[in-house]
Amino acid sequence: MMTVKLQLIVGAVLILGMLLILIMVKKRSLDLKYALSWLLGIVLVLILDCFPKLLNRLSRALGVFSPVNMIFFLGFCFSLLIIFTLTVIVSRMSERIRKLSQAVALNEEKLRILTADEQKEKKEDGK
Amino acid sequence: MMKSLVIIPAYNEEKSILRTVQDIREHAPDFDYVVVNDCSTDDTLAICRREHIRVLALPVNLGIGGAVQTGYLYAMKNGYDYAVQFDGDGQHDAAFLHAMRDKMEAEGVNMMIGSRFIEGEGFQSSAVRRFGIRFFTGLIRLLTGKTVTDPTSGMRMADKKVIAMFADCYPKDYPEPESLVACLQAGMKVSEYPVIMRERMGGVSSISPMRSVYYMIKVTLAILVEFFRRKEYRK
Repeated sequence: MMTVKLQLIVGAVLILGMLLILIMVKKRSLDLKYALSWLLGIVLVLILDCFPKLLNRLSRALGVFSPVNMIFFLGFCFSLLIIFTLTVIVSRMSERIRKLSQAVALNEEKLRILTADEQKEKKEDGK
Repeated sequence: MMKSLVIIPAYNEEKSILRTVQDIREHAPDFDYVVVNDCSTDDTLAICRREHIRVLALPVNLGIGGAVQTGYLYAMKNGYDYAVQFDGDGQHDAAFLHAMRDKMEAEGVNMMIGSRFIEGEGFQSSAVRRFGIRFFTGLIRLLTGKTVTDPTSGMRMADKKVIAMFADCYPKDYPEPESLVACLQAGMKVSEYPVIMRERMGGVSSISPMRSVYYMIKVTLAILVEFFRRKEYRK
């Protein structure tokens, strides 16, 4: 069994974390799209923290000796999932950045040629 | 008339870029050339602008793969028949470009690699690196059945087909062996031409000794991934 003291500590940390995330979303310094997975993880762990019977049953079903370990294990799994998702997102973003910078470089060169032509035309018109 | 482009990827090559361009102007006058400035922190870009050299200026540093690919994109969009990668650090010799293109046309191959090791003349790289290169040669032969003596060579000429392929998809770092396998797997004809390379005049190799272990592992894995990837496509 989990002690009430630990239950309260875990609960407090989770709620604090959730508040922080929500405040950051409100301030727009955190994108709700990416905050959702964090919020989901927190809510799930919070539910298990509030209902120890559920936690006990789950840990027994999975063969985890101590329910506290179950909480940690779940938190760890969620963290891994989020980190992996982030790696996927980073890969996609670097691909996009590459394409964008290449397009910028090519367009800039095109623009240079166009403005050079324009200036030439203006000079000829002036004559 | 065939349109040919020399792609010169440059990262901090202020000491050698002018000599490289001069070499191309002198020895391969009917080749157009474009410098891809990979967000250099030195005066490479300013020098090119001052000398009215055509430059594609990347706004952020993409690494050698992204820079070279910018050149291939440019070649594709401007309808070039041939595009050749040519290092901006003075390692490569423009005197070979004509012969490479002639041989490409004569043999009808899609990609021609300038190889240091066919005749064994000129700068041959260090013994450790040669050993690494030989390992890749063996691995590529094992997987594709094709012997390429210099799979890491950065002097490679591509025809329209390969230009389109590279413009669409090109590895980010240490791209040469990996993209070579991609070409072979896609059924492109690849051949080699004996060239003489010099020791670099300026700049730093993209492969420092410290990174060589990472390099070997990454490139080996990349070759294997490329091998299985293309096989899947074919099915």
